[in-house]
Amino acid sequence: MALSQVSSNKCSGGYQKVFEHDSSELKCKMKFAIFLPPKAETSKCPVLYWLSGLTCTEQNFITKAGSQQAASEHGLIIVAPDTSPRGCNVEGEEESWDFGTGAGFYVNATQDPWKTNYRMYSYITEELPRLVNSNFPTDPERMSVSGHSMGGHGALICALKNPGKYKSVSAFAPICNPMQCAWGQKAFSGYLGEDKSTWEAYDATVLAASYSGPELDILIDQGRDDQFLSASQLLPDNLIAACSEKKIPVVFRLQQGYDHSYYFIFSFINEHIKHHAKYLNA
Amino acid sequence: MDVYEGRGRLDVIAEEVNASDDEGHQAWRSRPLVDIDGVENRARVQPGSSFQRFSVGTDESLHFDPCMSEEDEESADGGVFADSEGLVDGKRALTESDPPDVFCADCQTPTHAFQKSFGPHKSHRVILMSAAMQETKKNVSKTKGKLEEKITQMENFASNLEEIFITVEDNFGRQEQNLEQHYNDVLQTLSQRYEESASALENEKKVKLESLYSQLICCGKMMDTTKELIEVAQKLYRTENKCSFLRRVMAIMKRIEEFTKEEPELKLATSLEFETLTADFSDIKHMMDSINIVPAPSAPVMNPQIPNSASLTSLRVCWSLFSDDTVEYYELYSRPISEDMSVESGLEASMVKVKETHYTVTELVPNAQYEFWVTATNTTGISPSSEKAVYMTVPAPPIIKPQECTSCPDAALIRWDSGNTNPVDSYTVELAEIGPEVGESSITESIVAIPTCECLIQLQPGTRYLVYVRAVNIGGPSERSQPFTVVTIGTFFHLLEDTAHPCLSISEDGFTMFYTDDELPLSEMAFTDESFARCVAVLGDLIPIRSKHYWEVEVDPNTEYRIGVAYEDTQRNAYLGGNNASWCMRHVLTPSRHKYEFLHNGWTPDIRITRHPLRIGVALDYDHGKLSFFNADLEQHLYTFHCQFLHFVHPCFALDNPGALTLVNGTEAPNYTKFT
Repeated sequence: MALSQVSSNKCSGGYQKVFEHDSSELKCKMKFAIFLPPKAETSKCPVLYWLSGLTCTEQNFITKAGSQQAASEHGLIIVAPDTSPRGCNVEGEEESWDFGTGAGFYVNATQDPWKTNYRMYSYITEELPRLVNSNFPTDPERMSVSGHSMGGHGALICALKNPGKYKSVSAFAPICNPMQCAWGQKAFSGYLGEDKSTWEAYDATVLAASYSGPELDILIDQGRDDQFLSASQLLPDNLIAACSEKKIPVVFRLQQGYDHSYYFIFSFINEHIKHHAKYLNA
Repeated sequence: MDVYEGRGRLDVIAEEVNASDDEGHQAWRSRPLVDIDGVENRARVQPGSSFQRFSVGTDESLHFDPCMSEEDEESADGGVFADSEGLVDGKRALTESDPPDVFCADCQTPTHAFQKSFGPHKSHRVILMSAAMQETKKNVSKTKGKLEEKITQMENFASNLEEIFITVEDNFGRQEQNLEQHYNDVLQTLSQRYEESASALENEKKVKLESLYSQLICCGKMMDTTKELIEVAQKLYRTENKCSFLRRVMAIMKRIEEFTKEEPELKLATSLEFETLTADFSDIKHMMDSINIVPAPSAPVMNPQIPNSASLTSLRVCWSLFSDDTVEYYELYSRPISEDMSVESGLEASMVKVKETHYTVTELVPNAQYEFWVTATNTTGISPSSEKAVYMTVPAPPIIKPQECTSCPDAALIRWDSGNTNPVDSYTVELAEIGPEVGESSITESIVAIPTCECLIQLQPGTRYLVYVRAVNIGGPSERSQPFTVVTIGTFFHLLEDTAHPCLSISEDGFTMFYTDDELPLSEMAFTDESFARCVAVLGDLIPIRSKHYWEVEVDPNTEYRIGVAYEDTQRNAYLGGNNASWCMRHVLTPSRHKYEFLHNGWTPDIRITRHPLRIGVALDYDHGKLSFFNADLEQHLYTFHCQFLHFVHPCFALDNPGALTLVNGTEAPNYTKFT
């Protein structure tokens, strides 16, 4: 598949690049950002997939999170895709900021008019890795996933639905139980229809309760002063309860004074990268 | 070795060779057989001749030419025999005028074959010339061999003699010196005596003369008086005047009468003879007698203690003679030196008789000082005592205290007991790396001059070592202590039981701690200054090295515990994690869930953990200022404190409810502990 480079900037000894390609899953042109550490010049590197949250594009993470330094030190490639298909002109996709454009929710939609283009789950778990592995010096066996907010939800469900595919998973202020929060309910009913049983396949809390597979090690950071936490959009307690029950190892940190913004991500991204490096470089 | 004996044998050979030679002289002909001739000449004692070499006046060393080599002798042999008339083998003599062709072994004479049957050699053993030659040659070689032996013996003897000559010279020299000295002494004494006597005599003369002189004066006086009287009397006698005459004559007459009554002392005041002083020559006599007697020895000299000659219970004491004294035996005295000065004089000295100039004294006490002195005795008497020398036995080996030794991958801290009641000078630590093969270990490092009973040793990671300690005093080093094994994998330490809260009890092996809710009343608990008073806690004895350390703790899911590190001076009445001198992970059990806190200065982050750790890994990194906690079973990182440790910290453990904790030591820090 043809990739065309959109931009390239040297950063932390490596290169922060943005590419564009025609996506077969999403049936449109998609951009993604990729950071190549210095190590990539000489050897294959593991890949960390970063899934961004509502309203984000491939730009937010690479400009605001400050991940390049740690990625460079630990020799990790970080791929940060967009959060939804773009320019498909699906009706209603621009109406809200938390549904449609920039709010793909990392599901494969089953309902019209979304089901043609809104297949972010397959894009993230299949097409993008194939693309990245064939075009960049990656170690295909070593990948991990992380994300923020909606992206956190995406990271969790990718890991829970694909036991053994990801070496490690972490999240910043994830939407832990979308079925139980306003955001999730709005998105799922739009993309998946009213049958809530179909929602379960994309709910981290539900998936955790029935997870079986290789042991995970989930790191979750949550800002205590996150407005969405207090608005019951995130519901981490539900996930923790489910994981405690199922004995899925989770370390959940409630970070005093931090909010939902990229400043929060910036503050703890190094620790998350170290967490992933522990498994990716083992 | 009998020189003459050899001479006799040589006689025989000469006769064999020179059978037809009728010179008949006793002296040796110079034959190139061997150069025995020369040797014999020299070694033989000839009257008045060749003593030249042995005179005392020369320093010439004796020299003998070596024996001639075999080859020369062979050719010489041939030469010898070639000299005498010999026929070529096979050619028979036909007449008497021909040279003889056979040899009569019995008569040892060459003869003619045709004469055999009827000549004087009729019944003798007659052999061919060539055979005879062989036989004789053999005999000659045999004898030659014997001669060579003799020569060697002679050479040895000669060199012995050389040495003896030197010894004799030495002895002579000594005796000469001795004699000179003695006679000098005698002469000196005699001349002293003479002077004394002479001056005594002179004094006597003076005395006599003086007394005689005074006597003379007296006489003179008397004479004068008498003369005066006479004159007076005469004058009076001539006086015409009868009245004055009669008046005065009575007085004069009285005077004269009185005077004449006085007996003049006509005896000599002193005798004319001088006393013959019987000089006391007894001591001179004694000296003369003792000239030939060996003097009593002078005091020997004690040698200082030779390093490494002492053992735990024995000392090798050495001394030497002051001069070339003759000594029959020595008497060595020894006495222990005690610390208590007042006791010293009371201790008895023991004595042992020794013939050599050294003696090994046994059955002594380790790490103790002893005084030694020695006297030398010969037939004349005993020498004065030597100066006293002090020797010291080596100390007993120290005893390493395994419960107080700690280690980490880069170093080990070893502590030991001195093993001696009295102080020693220093300690030496010896390290042996244990190689992969069994029994392969050799001392790789020695650390000396350690003043106290502990030592911090730098080591290589991942290696097994045997550590030995020796105590050292002036007598030398002790034997090695029992070895202590150090394995530089992971961090190894014990609990400081002194710091334990009274309610915290520690197992036999020292690694498991229990909080037993014995409901002891507070008054009965034995608190000390070191022990925790409120928090049921205990500190660990971590090695004081600023490197990375790692240890694990096994916990019960139902135990409420605190695990972390603290400064040594953390307040004993505070709770771990509640002050700024301690950092710990705390597990609290509430009715609904498990709570995990990471406490320092009373503050904790809000952390939820879904899997309850049963084995907690603690990683301490001084350089990066990090204290990390892990779920070791899951290899899951739980939390990291970031803090600059200003002092060394100690691991700390506490139990908040009845339960148990087990410390797991000596585990290598897993790889994942780097990612914090």
